[in-house]
Amino acid sequence: MDLKEFELIYNENRVEIKDKQKVEAKLREIVGFKNVSTKEIDILAYNKDTSLIGFNWALQGKIAGLPDFITWPETSEQISEILKLANQEKIPVIPYGEGSGVVGGAIPVYGGIIIDMKKFNKILNINDKDLTVTVESGINGMKLERYLNAKGYTHGHIPQSFYYSSVGGWIAHRSAGQFSTKYGKIEDMVMGMEVILPKGDILKFKTIARASTGPQFEKLFIGGGGTLGIITKATLKIWPYPESRSLISYAFPTFEDSLEATRQILRQQIYPAVIRIYDADETIRHFGHIEKAKDKVMVVLVCEGIKRLVKLEEEITRETCEKNNGIDCGEEPVEHWFETRFNVTETSSTPTFGMVIDTIEIGFLWDKAADMYHFVLEAAKSVKGLMIITAHVSHFYPNGVGFYFTFAGIPPKEKTDFEFFQEVWNTIIKAVEDCGGSFGHHHGVGINRAKWMPVEWGKAFDSLKFIKKLLDPNNILNPGKVYESTWKE
Amino acid sequence: MSEILKKYKWMGPIIEKMDRDIKRIFMKNFRMRDKNYFPEGDYKADIKNLVNCMLCPNLCKFDCGTLQASLTETMSPAYKARIGYYLTTGKIDPTKKENKDFVDLMYKCSNEENCKVWCPFEFSVVSLLETVRDDLNDKGLMPDYCKQQISKLNKTNTIEEYNIFETYKEKGIENIETDGNDEVFYYIGCESMKFPEVVKANIKILKKAGLKFSTNLEKKVCCGGPAFNIRDMETAKEFARKNKELIESTSAKIIISDCPGCILTLTTRYEKVGFKFEKEIIHIVQFFKKLIEEGKLRFEKSTPEQFRKITIHDPCLIARNLNDTESIRFILNKIPDLEITEPLYNKEYVHCCGWSGTAHWADRDLAIREAQNRINELKETGTNIFITACPLCELGLAYGINETEKEKYNILDISELLIEIL
Repeated sequence: MDLKEFELIYNENRVEIKDKQKVEAKLREIVGFKNVSTKEIDILAYNKDTSLIGFNWALQGKIAGLPDFITWPETSEQISEILKLANQEKIPVIPYGEGSGVVGGAIPVYGGIIIDMKKFNKILNINDKDLTVTVESGINGMKLERYLNAKGYTHGHIPQSFYYSSVGGWIAHRSAGQFSTKYGKIEDMVMGMEVILPKGDILKFKTIARASTGPQFEKLFIGGGGTLGIITKATLKIWPYPESRSLISYAFPTFEDSLEATRQILRQQIYPAVIRIYDADETIRHFGHIEKAKDKVMVVLVCEGIKRLVKLEEEITRETCEKNNGIDCGEEPVEHWFETRFNVTETSSTPTFGMVIDTIEIGFLWDKAADMYHFVLEAAKSVKGLMIITAHVSHFYPNGVGFYFTFAGIPPKEKTDFEFFQEVWNTIIKAVEDCGGSFGHHHGVGINRAKWMPVEWGKAFDSLKFIKKLLDPNNILNPGKVYESTWKE
Repeated sequence: MSEILKKYKWMGPIIEKMDRDIKRIFMKNFRMRDKNYFPEGDYKADIKNLVNCMLCPNLCKFDCGTLQASLTETMSPAYKARIGYYLTTGKIDPTKKENKDFVDLMYKCSNEENCKVWCPFEFSVVSLLETVRDDLNDKGLMPDYCKQQISKLNKTNTIEEYNIFETYKEKGIENIETDGNDEVFYYIGCESMKFPEVVKANIKILKKAGLKFSTNLEKKVCCGGPAFNIRDMETAKEFARKNKELIESTSAKIIISDCPGCILTLTTRYEKVGFKFEKEIIHIVQFFKKLIEEGKLRFEKSTPEQFRKITIHDPCLIARNLNDTESIRFILNKIPDLEITEPLYNKEYVHCCGWSGTAHWADRDLAIREAQNRINELKETGTNIFITACPLCELGLAYGINETEKEKYNILDISELLIEIL
């Protein structure tokens, strides 16, 4: 088969590899014969991540990006050698964990070498006293959590991509899980790391509870999107598996009431592991069967930990919800959330109707959160073809919130699905920036947000680019993301 | 379509409010959906569910045995479905020699059906791949490694190069021919014949329970399971016919087998091709459980020292196809002085031995790596004896143990443990 029969979406500025056979031979020398492939069946398997527009392309027989080589290194030294070779040959290298990203972070936009991290899948050590687990970064999230649960622990990091994401991906995209109000986000959990720099140097950041020894250099790689280094090992916090869990749900008359209730809960330093507010449209979609939630805004909460603490948290949570006009809906909505939280079926149906869907998560401070929500909704509605724009609030802090917008639409006649997709993205991000929000909460930058980095970061973006240039002078590590926009204007 | 309309009922008002031009496009897309993506054609592939699977974010990938054995995206369930869809719709031409890898991928599944546990659509990937295999077979594209299995079935009536049932004498297995008046027919699997000690133990246990049963090894043939896996349905039906004749000749009301693959074939699979038995067909552990409950089997001796610590390996066909994780545990819990340990992945979440389905023919190394993965999980329990109840598991797991460790670890069928204490 000739892969040219598949339309290539990212088809510009592809790297020209003069002597592909020579590079292949060198790669085989580094990682062993069996750990390199140029077979079409493998090349096609690594053309995309989990970006939702990618499902439309897959159905239409299109390829997002086309890598030249797939490699499966087994040691950090091998990764280091691949990077050195890539620098010599000026070939892009794209780290690939589980491919769960939704902003194009693992798409080989210019071709090059995919480094699949799946062979970095070991759990190296659990330290009960320190409450840490040390893992290789390619380990799948669900596999790690199942292992920890069996040993009596939880990692507490449960993103929606839990079944198909890796620790390395979590760190690279600075992800956040559903239980993060209690356990924190990935940056709160990483205590030590091994990172390989674009030129091949292997850095080992000590496992420490805290230090004042200079700036937090390691933080540069948390959220770096695989552009500044490849994470190979990490030591993460773990917790004893919670002995008790309480399931709470309240329906509020207005979105504002629900925000106010949750803000007050956090202000009292009560941290339910899970808090989720579903706006009126999402309440109909997800909790249409709950009579008390009709025409209301559903909030589900989960408190967990030791029994005495959970009891107190539940008591204060309930009091606060009721004080803000919440109507107790019992455990059923939370059970329903637990049962369905990973069931993604929409991606399988919407592309067949020619619909384009996606989710965009953003951060707001509390002060104007409700106004910003309405502002973004209205802005999105101005895009021709947009059918649905809804939101839930998925992450909470004493100072602000993370909103999760979902949109669906039909591209108008004059636009391709990709053009329509970009228009909705750009409209929403612009609205967020205009009203003072932050344009990405937990999916990372990748391709989709790269255009907006100078706006979000301001002058600091120049410094970030300078650091990138310093670490990766040949721009070989995951190019086409974060620092440059590959979307056409 | 009615299910889709029900599920997306909430979209009604949204569609009503749509811009006229957009609504027109949407309605057109709706009407053209089948033509665009599920075109009519001369194929048997379950194209709608292939699409459901290929457009899923791979929710089951973490528990897919072949993916975990290969550690490549290529082996991921959604990708297999995607290739199945492309082979069906002609995006990838299966008749071209250079596309052989893509055709082979349709056979790289160990039928463990772990995926079904996590699937929001509640199907298994192999159930989709089998429909793609149907079309490949119709086009004369059955891979050689599958043709070889069919050839063996036709030549020897078993899945071996020779009629393995004929070896019973040299293996010291007693053959009990039916007199047409049996209580039970002990249906011995082809692969079970590779483990004569297991078969002998089962016969001994059945005798101890005082049952009138037959084994009919002179007339015994394969259940046809491999042909069902390969989807050579003519061969599969022929074996169903032969077995129907054999089983009916015994007059036994209960058919028991030591091979869960045989049970699956004799029941669900035969029914699908029009052969149904009005008999109870159960796995031998389910039957032993009954015998214990009825007081017909008693454990009279204490467990010998060397067998006192064991780990259970649930055969996936018993745990997930027969939905029975209880029988093995019921029996083991009745054994005195036995310390039972469970591996991390057990019961309905068990990981496969690698030796089911077509993967071990399509890619033997892949199947061995799957077996090694499972052995590593079993070894983590710290015991040296792994108890199972499936000849394929015995076969597969043995491939997972390094030569240097063969002496250290012992894979036993539950019957081999039982005869030690009966």
